[in-house]
Amino acid sequence: MNWPDLSMGKYAFYVWGSYLVSLILIVWEVVSLRLRKKALMQQPSSRPVSTPVLRGSVNETTS
Amino acid sequence: MNLYKYASPAMFYPLAGKLIPWFAIPAAILFATGMFVGFFIAPTDAQQGDAYRIIFIHVPAAWMGMLLYVLMAIYAGIGWAFNARLSSMMASSLAVTGAMFTAISLITGALWGKPTWGTWWVWDARMTSTLILMFLYMGFISLQAAIDDPRRADRAGAVLALVGVINVPIIYFSVQWWNTLHQGATIRILQKPTIRGSMLAALLIMLAACWLYSVAVVLIRLRCIILEREQNASRFAEAGA
Repeated sequence: MNWPDLSMGKYAFYVWGSYLVSLILIVWEVVSLRLRKKALMQQPSSRPVSTPVLRGSVNETTS
Repeated sequence: MNLYKYASPAMFYPLAGKLIPWFAIPAAILFATGMFVGFFIAPTDAQQGDAYRIIFIHVPAAWMGMLLYVLMAIYAGIGWAFNARLSSMMASSLAVTGAMFTAISLITGALWGKPTWGTWWVWDARMTSTLILMFLYMGFISLQAAIDDPRRADRAGAVLALVGVINVPIIYFSVQWWNTLHQGATIRILQKPTIRGSMLAALLIMLAACWLYSVAVVLIRLRCIILEREQNASRFAEAGA
């Protein structure tokens, strides 16, 4: 095991910048999904989908 | 066991909820493992120094960007051809994650290009075709957002996704077909890889992590889309009644 040189051999900005940008985008995706789910659950008409949508057939798959 | 029942959004919704932790937790573990192998075990590259460590996020992100587009096109095509609502919803769900991975590959590619090539960007075939992939994702997302009727939005998106899928082999083979600044493939299915074992291990672990992460977030978004569309359908039904 080699302890990494944090300066990345003078490439720290590029290497850590890449991982920082990736982390920001991933965190943004996860947080925005949580907020979207939260907003959906707070709507008055919101209810968990747990039963089949009965519009003609029990196992309706098409619109 | 009748698996067809899970083609119904209402039946798939609880199943997706149960599946999410089985993908999210291994994804987090593999991300940590991949970073450890990539930074603590993989040695410094003789030519590129430590700058090469960007590949542990750049390459998996680029592969995921292409793979998710193909999956999106397949699901959109199935949704269009068979009028299968869940497939169209899955295509919509895949688009955002695919766009995010493509954005990561473009940004990290620029951050890799500057120290190794001396430039952030060149209009070579690999980078330009990847940028087009990003535009295709954005077009798909924008098109679906611009049309109120979900069924019409799904059909329009499917046309764009299926036409745009031709761009994926162009991205993959661009480094062979044209003389590009971007380096050629170092990992091929039928040939021995040209990189050290620990570097390859870090790359493959990060790829697995990205794949598991994608499944988890796509399932979470799919559940949101199911809820939104069912609520909208209820509202339309109430308004029409």
